[in-house]
Amino acid sequence: MNHLNDINTLIACKHCDTVANSPTLTAGESALCPCCGYTLFSRKVDPVNRTLAVSLAGLLLLIPTVTLPIIGVGVAGKYNDATLIDCIMLMINADFYIIAFSVFLFTIAIPSVRIFSAFYLSYRIKTKQLSTSLLTFYRSYHLFDSWTMIHVFFLGVIVSMYKLISLDELIVGSGLVSMLLLLFCSTLISITLDQKLIWDLLEHELEPKS
Amino acid sequence: MNLNQKAKALNLGCCPCCQKVNEMTERKQRCSRCHHQFSQRKPYSLQYTFAWTLAAIVMFIPANIYPMMVFYTLGRPEKSTILEGIASFIQQGHYPIAFIIFLASFIIPLGKIIGLLILLYNTKSYSRISKKKQTQMYHLIASLGPWSMLDVFVVAVMAAVVNFGFFTSIEAGAGITYFTLMVIFTIFAAESFDPRLLWDIERRNTNDR
Repeated sequence: MNHLNDINTLIACKHCDTVANSPTLTAGESALCPCCGYTLFSRKVDPVNRTLAVSLAGLLLLIPTVTLPIIGVGVAGKYNDATLIDCIMLMINADFYIIAFSVFLFTIAIPSVRIFSAFYLSYRIKTKQLSTSLLTFYRSYHLFDSWTMIHVFFLGVIVSMYKLISLDELIVGSGLVSMLLLLFCSTLISITLDQKLIWDLLEHELEPKS
Repeated sequence: MNLNQKAKALNLGCCPCCQKVNEMTERKQRCSRCHHQFSQRKPYSLQYTFAWTLAAIVMFIPANIYPMMVFYTLGRPEKSTILEGIASFIQQGHYPIAFIIFLASFIIPLGKIIGLLILLYNTKSYSRISKKKQTQMYHLIASLGPWSMLDVFVVAVMAAVVNFGFFTSIEAGAGITYFTLMVIFTIFAAESFDPRLLWDIERRNTNDR
């Protein structure tokens, strides 16, 4: 059964279904699909340590991003600032439940799940404690790929600052700064996380038991 | 192993979650690596994509008719829809911001809907646009998805921060719910589309000749 032995060395493109032999790469290289040119997979430099560091920073930054005021405005001696939680609470009070729910989901819940699963995975790999529960974590990381919207929310805050610039006073809150850093971290995670390495590791470790 | 052969022709399937190549024994099976249930192609991909796109088109209409934001100055309400908001930006001379909002909340959703319809049509009939270009187009549609939420976030932030009671306050309008639903529907539509279907038709055509 030469065919079955072969199957682990094969890789198929997600986008055009072309099958190719999986090449061995050194750190920092990427494999491209011979047919459509899409990246099949890439080897990252020092993936576990870097992801661990960046995702830990991301997890810590989540707290100030959610609780500290993002922007504040002053009109005629009155001052008002808003945190991310305030935005959601106000939408709930105004009966816009769908908006409140989607803002919560896209800017707090899904980014936290992704960052936490990246942290937990790299921690468990670093300490060499692999178990089947990691599969669930890693699958959740993949499931929410196109649903994180911190970057869009950040641009939204910038746009609303433009709109509010005519008011008397406009203050950039510390929440916005930590949101920018969080954005930086979550982008870095997608750069440093070596998806193929983790899947290979999980497969290698979990195969004999099951 | 012959290059440029499709996995489907070899009776192999690529797991959409972890990208492991599996030998297909059933039409729908679990991946041997990540236990994700999958089939060779996303099941009913075209039907789902078409349905979500239609739902997005339906939502696009009330999203543009109803106001997105209500601006109260001294108790007097001033409603503005998406396009009216952009127009007021142009009047104030904020051209870059007007352009960004116009792009994010009008051009991108509309472009996504039209693009998906074109791609859907191309899976059914052979088109002269190269498959590579079409795959890139799909990539663009999928990656632009979240940016349409920009206007919703702008309204959410403004409503939270400009809250001075009778003096000045901003409230969200009815259009925002329809708009959010439209954006979510287009993301679902893009997610349920399977770009591999674009490549299937090419193979079928070359086999026919």
